Amino acid sequence: MFELFARNRVASLFAITILTFGIIGAAAPGFLSGNTIAVVMANSLVLMLISFGTMLVIITRNIDVSSGSVLGLSAAVLGLALNAGISLPLAIGLCVLVGAAAGALNGALVAGLGVPSIVATLGTLGLYRGLMLTLTGGRWIEALPQSIKSLASNLGWGGSVLTIIVLLVFAGLWFFLRRTRSGGYFFAVGDNREAARHLGIPARWIEFSAFVGAGACAALAGVVFAAQIGFIPNQAGNGIELKAIAANVLGGVSLLGGVGSAVGVFISVIFLTAIDSALVFLRIPAFWNDFIAGAILLSVLMLDGRIRLALDKRIRAKRYAIGHGGQNAKPASKEKAAESLHVSSEATR
Amino acid sequence: MASDDAHTLIQVRDVWKRYGPVSVLKGVSICLRAGQIHALLGGNGAGKSTLMKVIAGLVSPNDGTVVIGGERLERPSAAKAQRLGLYLVPQEAHIFGNQTVLENICMGLAKSPSQLRSRVIELIKQLSVSLDLDAQAATLEIADRQIVEILRGLVRQARVLILDEPTSALTPHEVEALFARMRALAAKGVGIFFISHKLREIREICHDISVLRDGAIVLSGALGDYGDDQIVTAMTRAGTGASPAASTAVNAAKGEARLVIDNLSGEGFRSVSLSLSGGEIAGLAGVVGAGRTELAETVFGLRRAHGGSISLDGKVLDKRAPARCVDAGLVYLPEDRQQYGLFLDAPLYWNASSYLMHKLPFMLSPKREREAFSRFRDAMDIKCESAEQPARRLSGGNQQKVLLAKCLAAKPKVLILDEPTRGVDVAARNDIYALVRTLAAEGVAILLISSDFDEIVHLSDRILVMAFGELEGTLPAGSSVDAIGKLAFGAREHAHV
Amino acid sequence: MKRLVLRWEAVLVLILILEFVVFGLINPRFLNPSNLLYGTSDFIHIGIVAVPLTLVIIGGGIDVSFASLVGLCAIVFGVANFFGVPLPLSILAALAAGVCAGAMNAAIIHFSKIQPLVVTLGSLYLFGGAATVLSGAVGAGGYEGIGNFPGIFTEFGYLEVFGIPAMLILFVIMALIFIVLLHFTRFGRSVYLVGQSENAARYSGLPVERIQTVTYLLTGLCAAIAGLMLSSYFGSARVDLGTATLLPAITAAVLGGASIYGGQGSVLGTVIAVFVIGFLQQGLQMAGVPSQVSSALSGGLLVGVVALRLGSAMLAGFVARGNKAMAARSRPIVEEKIK
Repeated sequence: MFELFARNRVASLFAITILTFGIIGAAAPGFLSGNTIAVVMANSLVLMLISFGTMLVIITRNIDVSSGSVLGLSAAVLGLALNAGISLPLAIGLCVLVGAAAGALNGALVAGLGVPSIVATLGTLGLYRGLMLTLTGGRWIEALPQSIKSLASNLGWGGSVLTIIVLLVFAGLWFFLRRTRSGGYFFAVGDNREAARHLGIPARWIEFSAFVGAGACAALAGVVFAAQIGFIPNQAGNGIELKAIAANVLGGVSLLGGVGSAVGVFISVIFLTAIDSALVFLRIPAFWNDFIAGAILLSVLMLDGRIRLALDKRIRAKRYAIGHGGQNAKPASKEKAAESLHVSSEATR
Repeated sequence: MASDDAHTLIQVRDVWKRYGPVSVLKGVSICLRAGQIHALLGGNGAGKSTLMKVIAGLVSPNDGTVVIGGERLERPSAAKAQRLGLYLVPQEAHIFGNQTVLENICMGLAKSPSQLRSRVIELIKQLSVSLDLDAQAATLEIADRQIVEILRGLVRQARVLILDEPTSALTPHEVEALFARMRALAAKGVGIFFISHKLREIREICHDISVLRDGAIVLSGALGDYGDDQIVTAMTRAGTGASPAASTAVNAAKGEARLVIDNLSGEGFRSVSLSLSGGEIAGLAGVVGAGRTELAETVFGLRRAHGGSISLDGKVLDKRAPARCVDAGLVYLPEDRQQYGLFLDAPLYWNASSYLMHKLPFMLSPKREREAFSRFRDAMDIKCESAEQPARRLSGGNQQKVLLAKCLAAKPKVLILDEPTRGVDVAARNDIYALVRTLAAEGVAILLISSDFDEIVHLSDRILVMAFGELEGTLPAGSSVDAIGKLAFGAREHAHV
Repeated sequence: MKRLVLRWEAVLVLILILEFVVFGLINPRFLNPSNLLYGTSDFIHIGIVAVPLTLVIIGGGIDVSFASLVGLCAIVFGVANFFGVPLPLSILAALAAGVCAGAMNAAIIHFSKIQPLVVTLGSLYLFGGAATVLSGAVGAGGYEGIGNFPGIFTEFGYLEVFGIPAMLILFVIMALIFIVLLHFTRFGRSVYLVGQSENAARYSGLPVERIQTVTYLLTGLCAAIAGLMLSSYFGSARVDLGTATLLPAITAAVLGGASIYGGQGSVLGTVIAVFVIGFLQQGLQMAGVPSQVSSALSGGLLVGVVALRLGSAMLAGFVARGNKAMAARSRPIVEEKIK
């Protein structure tokens, strides 16, 4: 049971999500409808993109807390560009470019200068927010053209162009991480940086790319944000970086690097958003949201931590099991080689 | 320009490497030809591993040149060295714990793991080992991790292989298969550097030999030109060559039994009973993994015992924890000083008083601590700038002396020394030996854990040998290294034959 | 090491003086002593949480939950006050809530052995949520404040002793206590040792868990103090009182020289850094720079200063090792150099 949960983190999260939907559906008939699912999906898009970007960084054993500000900055660039009459595709391109550049600065600080990632991105969190406000002069960007708002309109099946974009990012990311060589490097660098270096993997370059990817994802989140809301307030994206980290942890991405999957993050974001929606549906006052989110996160963490400890203990017990027969064969035979003449003073070291 | 013929795979010329004030390599030149298996010998800290890392592009030298296959390694990098067809199998395997064994082997290669699977299986067969390619690498034992590293080198079809003590974790059967592979590779023109401590293995497989001592090559040439004695002398000259008999003469004041361990079992050992008297140096010999460190850590309260009891001066030590043991007069010098012994970034006098933290007054008086430290500094000849200096900047030998000072500051009645001279230069080693004898003469009971059997013979009044978690036997002072070796490895015969 | 730390604090003082000079030139009113003194009331609460946070970071941990704990403790006080609990008891309740929250953080961290960042991230939400729920329970709902405090409580925020704001005095006293605690006592030494090497600390018989727990308790306590101060200053207890302290407080600790890897830092450095950050914001405001831009500049300051520190360490490395050795420098070497 323990091991099942630990090994199949994604599957268990999926089961829990389904179960949650089921329970809420039983408590409040009508919750389980196509409409609800569409709403949950649409509400999760921004967090989804930010979480994907953050995942890339966390897998390489760094952290990015600047993504909320990158979202704000790139959304502001998008809004200003659109209101200046630049065409939508060009404006979006510019927006993503700005996000990638912001990520590149993070990456340069971390991978190039060796600044601890939490410190570097904490600094740029303030920096990018300030840049955004300088650009907008502290005013909200309103009256965005219809062209961008229409991206969020329902295409008839409950999803929008934005949904398609996010699903494409999801699929692309999954393919990249699971099926390509460079994707594997991300895990390798996060798992054991020294080993990665030893095998000739350009660890710094990988870390840098992770931050650039995170910046680009945050910029895309900015596009989604602008399209869904229709205007860009000063505090756009404020605080979402922490939610994204929480979603990652919940989705089985280890802050120790080297572990994680796009599927896990996808499900966990849906799960978190569904709880928000369910609270509304169950008419629980909105002020319970954070409390419940925090309680769930902490319980999952504790469970996770205990399971890992139990597994470690078991592995340890196995290693030290000095019985007869099978287990003994290894340590015993291991030393046979050492029979040879000991010429040096540190013989078996 | 020496031999730059087509057969030279690696040409190292006059390479220097300094870490701070310490020179690890002092103008080393060495070359490797195609098809050559070149043995590299040297004691701990002689610079073998550093030299190999320089060749593999993992460490850049301060001076000198490295030429691989005719191309000079200007800005060394592991990636470049590997592109030039070189792979270093490190002493301690680099493992990606979260990935499968197959992924670990194929990491960094152009082809995907699934494409390489059959090749890897083929190689595994040739090595005649068993390995579950789909297991998670974190669960592998040390020996299997080593095999993963060797497979990495083989699957890369490197032109140059560097094997850093590859056999230390392998079974004889696996070693034989590995040697067969090495011969086949050499026949195909692959050049191999083979680092080992085992002369028998070197004789079996190598053509040429170079011996490093204190960062310089002291002997180099065709293996057949040198006898075992010559090689050993080259390695250990100015070492601890004193004859064992001379040193073990005095065991004057033997006191009562101070530390009594009765039928103790725990992680990695079981049913160990022994007693230590005041003024006695008891050597605890064995090979890596015999359970000696686990025993020491259990006695010191760092691990939980499964059964048995420990008493000190007649009083039973239960509910052991390091601080309580220190209070009772039982002190442990950990094996890994960088990880567990010292606070590398703390001032030296912080380190020296770190066993006594719970005894210091709440308001500290650094002046007194500094004075206490400088007494140790003078007595033990610790070379440092000031008591404020961080431990990280000291040489290995001086770090070890600081760690000893930390133990002595706790005024031990029983002192457990775990590999007290590992990675320590010859001069400091002799200082430490002298100190250990003085302590014993003052009535401290000392348990000396060491994998260096010469050291055990050199210092001990009585030699205990552990193997596979059990106390295998006791030998008198002055026993030969061979006798210890037989006991330390001998248990295999009971277990399997 | 000590000399290096001292030098770093000297650099911070220089930066502070530079601020005074520059802002004084732009707007001479900035240097008006009473202006400077009263200006501190706007940011002194950052220092109140940044100082114990420095201890947590030195001890090898991190705590981000204080940002919502400030609000929670304020709300606890407000609710107690709402139900007519006498003032001293209400204050005690708030302080107790802070300590309990700190204990909870420490307990979960040691129980689950999960990174402190993740755990306190979770409790950041939990405490914030608890504060919202609690304030909702007395009908204050959402982000409205709970007010109607006794006069004597609200007066504290504007109280002055010998012409110096009482809150500033409180902070200075607290800072002094922490300086003594961290730099002159056995406990402080243990915090450093645990942060430098948890393994070595455990092998030396130090009570690692207990030491780390105390640092979290102190942070909880100080978050409560900050919550009370802010409630007094604003005249109402609000859920979001502390949310804006999260980044400035961590910034102050890091700017003050605390290493995010533990084992390094100083209370004095953090204290000076608090003033550097606080006066930067105020100077920019008085210079007519919109408040939005000042946040960019303080973020830039953090990045710039840390990069500078690393850069100078690397420069020293270049000089000492020569170009060749640096070509293959790896991050551990750089990290080691900073220390």
